[in-house]
Amino acid sequence: MLVAQKAKLREILNALSEEYQVAVPVQREGTSAFELYRDGIEVMFNGNTSISPKGMFFPQTEKMYGFKTVKNTTEFVSLPVEQGKRLLFGVRSCDMKSLDCLDQVFLTKGYIDEFYKQKRERTVIVALGCNEPGETCFCASLGLDPQKAAGADVHAYDLGEVIGFEAVTEAGQKVLDLLKNHLREQQFALPPVGEFYLKPEVAGVPEKLKGMFESPLWEEIARKCLNCGACTYVCPTCHCFDISQDVRGEKGIKYRCWDSCMFGEYTQMAGGHNPRPTKKERVRNRFMHKLNYFPERYNMLLCTGCGRCLDVCPVKMDITSIIQQIKEAK
Amino acid sequence: MCACNCDCNHDHDYDHNSVSSTVTSNPLIPMRAKVINIVQETVDTKTFYISTLDGEKPFDPQPGQLGMLSLPDIGEAMFSVTNKGEKHIEMAIKAVGELTNALHEIEVGQEVGIRGPYGNGFPLDYCRGKDLLFIGGGIGLAPVRSLIMHCIRNREDYGKLTVVYGARSKGDLCFKEDLFENWPKVPNMELFITIDKEEEGWDGHVGFVPSYVEELAFKPQVTVLCGPPVMIKFTLPVLQKMGFAEKDIITTLEMRMKCGVGKCGRCNIGSKYVCLDGPVFTMEELKDLPPEY
Repeated sequence: MLVAQKAKLREILNALSEEYQVAVPVQREGTSAFELYRDGIEVMFNGNTSISPKGMFFPQTEKMYGFKTVKNTTEFVSLPVEQGKRLLFGVRSCDMKSLDCLDQVFLTKGYIDEFYKQKRERTVIVALGCNEPGETCFCASLGLDPQKAAGADVHAYDLGEVIGFEAVTEAGQKVLDLLKNHLREQQFALPPVGEFYLKPEVAGVPEKLKGMFESPLWEEIARKCLNCGACTYVCPTCHCFDISQDVRGEKGIKYRCWDSCMFGEYTQMAGGHNPRPTKKERVRNRFMHKLNYFPERYNMLLCTGCGRCLDVCPVKMDITSIIQQIKEAK
Repeated sequence: MCACNCDCNHDHDYDHNSVSSTVTSNPLIPMRAKVINIVQETVDTKTFYISTLDGEKPFDPQPGQLGMLSLPDIGEAMFSVTNKGEKHIEMAIKAVGELTNALHEIEVGQEVGIRGPYGNGFPLDYCRGKDLLFIGGGIGLAPVRSLIMHCIRNREDYGKLTVVYGARSKGDLCFKEDLFENWPKVPNMELFITIDKEEEGWDGHVGFVPSYVEELAFKPQVTVLCGPPVMIKFTLPVLQKMGFAEKDIITTLEMRMKCGVGKCGRCNIGSKYVCLDGPVFTMEELKDLPPEY
């Protein structure tokens, strides 16, 4: 395995920055997220970021196009698109899996989302294996390998004093070629992965949910939900968006921004009808989408076991216990 | 399947890239178009005729397909395309919200944004050669009209055309020119028009659509219906009692939509997206989906 001293990470990232725009996980005043790398910035190695890297591909707010309306004329103006290769360092297995989910949504079924595709195609990903699961992690129960993130270009491993690197794709090999002078070959075994505290058994759940649309369980689960939408914002797989505009006189910008199925306006129609009028329907739709509708449509769960929704929920909603309740429901 | 080899549901040849080719191939970016004619249908419904700036059809929708229309500084919303001409498409729009009220203020010549066509459209192959019963309530005739007009244009390909249409009052009947002048002249086409309550100057049928359909006692055939949820709710049992098979009852649904291409999330019914997998569903298909629409 190719390895480098952890203390040399700064040199490595500096070298990569000459070729790529690099983003790394960073701790910032009680929260953590991926940020553009600058020399000297401290890379977070402990646990996953509280904000997932999905925004690197599907930003929270994204300008789509400009327009100009003068009297009865309407012009559309395309906006400059950021170019150049990017490199994400330190993406965990759960968040790599979420990109697989987002790829399904944005790149298949007849229409390609050009905004997403453009960012995805110019990004190389160095995943970082997890050795010690966090308290709310359960990716292994969903079939993920916490140490080897499927879909990454390079696997990086935290081996204590050193970091190990393995190229998986051609683009990943290019990254390691750039680092030739910083890496040396050395035998290393991956450390054993620590024990997961949460182990939901998801087998059979998508199938069972097919017959549970009218279950009293939804009423029960919905009772304590505040419909605050925090879970949907931190979720690395939630991808619903709204389209709106900022207008300044004759000029305007059409943008899209994250939306949430927890909000009533989300499905509110102009004529007054709302197919999901109360918390019950909205909560049901969220869990059905993750565990039944998405698997039906794309053949994979829309949950990666990252545990962020458990961390952030003000009333301690827990998708793993909901999975359990679905299993136990009659 | 599409000629472009995508895995979309379109069973016809159409070029996805033509959707917004004047700006970019990005499906979320509209093309520039203009309103070339406006017909006042009722006090709160107008039909807008839309062409590209050089007077061409913005896209070529199949009957039942949708288009995303925008006044970019106000908003963007999905409407069924109620008819197409050689050089334009038509959308019948009721003023109910912010965008639709703004649309009702515009005049001929107004430039708008448009993108589409979206959705599956009516199953033309299945309908071909058969007698067809169209049932509409209020503005619900708008999507159904796209198929009626298609059948009239291709009259020899379809059997008898029967339309049952109801509205609250005479003034609420949409497409009056079609109802009272054009369609009565079409060979082998029959019209049954009803309004909810008696009113002066109306000597036609009075009563609700579901009971009128029951009264008329049609023999089972393919039926296409669209209208307010209450009309659908009471008409379905009537049709089933009359012996219509679930696969022969076709309806078209609406949902709030933002992207129109199955990404933004909100128009799902179970694992289906109304914008992409619909808006046209048979009762047989709807039976397999959660009743959440």
